[in-house]
Amino acid sequence: MICIATFYSHFGAIRFRQDCRNRGVPARAMPVPRDLSSSCGTCVRFEGGCPAAVPEEVEQIVEVTDGGYRPLYRARG
Amino acid sequence: MNDKKEKWTIALAGLAIGVLAVTLVAFGNPANMGFCIACFVRDIAGALGLHRAAAVQYIRPEIIGLVLGSMILALVRREWAPKGGSAPMTRFVLGFFVMIGCLMFLGCPFRMILRLAGGDGNALFGLAGFVLGIVCGVFFLNRGYTLRRTYRLPVTEGAALPAIMAALLVLLVAAPSFVFFSTEGPGARHAPLLLSLAAGLIVGALAQRTRLCMVGGIRDFVLFRETKLLLGFGAILAAAFAANLVTGSFHPGFAGQPVAHTDGLWNALGMLLAGFGCVLLGGCPLRQLVLAGEGNADSAVTVLGLLVGAAFAHNFGLASSADGPTAAGRIAVVIGLAVVTAIACLNTFRKEAAQ
Repeated sequence: MICIATFYSHFGAIRFRQDCRNRGVPARAMPVPRDLSSSCGTCVRFEGGCPAAVPEEVEQIVEVTDGGYRPLYRARG
Repeated sequence: MNDKKEKWTIALAGLAIGVLAVTLVAFGNPANMGFCIACFVRDIAGALGLHRAAAVQYIRPEIIGLVLGSMILALVRREWAPKGGSAPMTRFVLGFFVMIGCLMFLGCPFRMILRLAGGDGNALFGLAGFVLGIVCGVFFLNRGYTLRRTYRLPVTEGAALPAIMAALLVLLVAAPSFVFFSTEGPGARHAPLLLSLAAGLIVGALAQRTRLCMVGGIRDFVLFRETKLLLGFGAILAAAFAANLVTGSFHPGFAGQPVAHTDGLWNALGMLLAGFGCVLLGGCPLRQLVLAGEGNADSAVTVLGLLVGAAFAHNFGLASSADGPTAAGRIAVVIGLAVVTAIACLNTFRKEAAQ
């Protein structure tokens, strides 16, 4: 399962990527795909599902599917 | 939208924007100034009497169009969202000093491309400084720089700047006596209102759709070796260059370039300040207008910072002219670099957690 997480800041993305790597989860930072957001920030593409505890910096997490993106998590507010 | 389609969309948008920019010059805008967010915001500041430089006073419809074009497309695509709360005062200060840097160079990053496309070699120094400024910003981004998250806000917060733009359009059309309009100089040279407004609307919509950003292209390349946004940058340059050749507006050289000076060091330092500040803001002045159109109140505050920066630049003799930079302008750029560096340091934290 491939997922993409978007963030409120570049820093949040870099920290999330590092958290993934610390847990042995392959992850890489990249620009946010246009279909996911009109913002031009940094997202993280990672393997595995939605983490049990989603960090505060995460705006949304989606699963990458053949038909597009399936929402898994969206921060409130 | 897959990756290939996205690249094509960005390239085609860039080509269209480049042609539109040269078309505006052909119809009356100052040379190499089909679009210049810094110059046009400065002109608006003058028109409203926030500065009294008689040669640069006009309510530029392009700025109004950019914000409203972005807003309209964002509404249509259901992407319009009022949000903000991410260090608005810091963004105001950054916007202020980005304008100081731009007016040292005499143009925003967008005009820097158009100046290059018109053969203005001085813009090469600007480009070098701009890239260096972006690299400085990326240095802090990778070490934890953040202005914290945004929050959902009431609709009025997101709608305020577009409403102000609509009010400016009314003032432009009504032309009451308290609005200043240049009778000579760059402020007096402009394309017809409807053409300028239409061009602004189209470019605003295209920039909203593609997320085109002069800073973003270089930033993403430095950060990820990602060339998508850079493609838009290149497409504008190529299209404007070709259109300048067709219209006979390509004049290669350094001396005597329109609305430009030949001081390479200060051209570079001005754009270094602009590039550095823009990375910390998350986008170039064009991108700030587009984001403000999408309902981002933080970007709207940044635009106000640009406006006040322009007023200060002309009230206190900080802006350059064709004769070159002023002593006060040099001091202001140095102060700007110090302030922007301080903001970068103060908002960079938890280095060890980011590694």
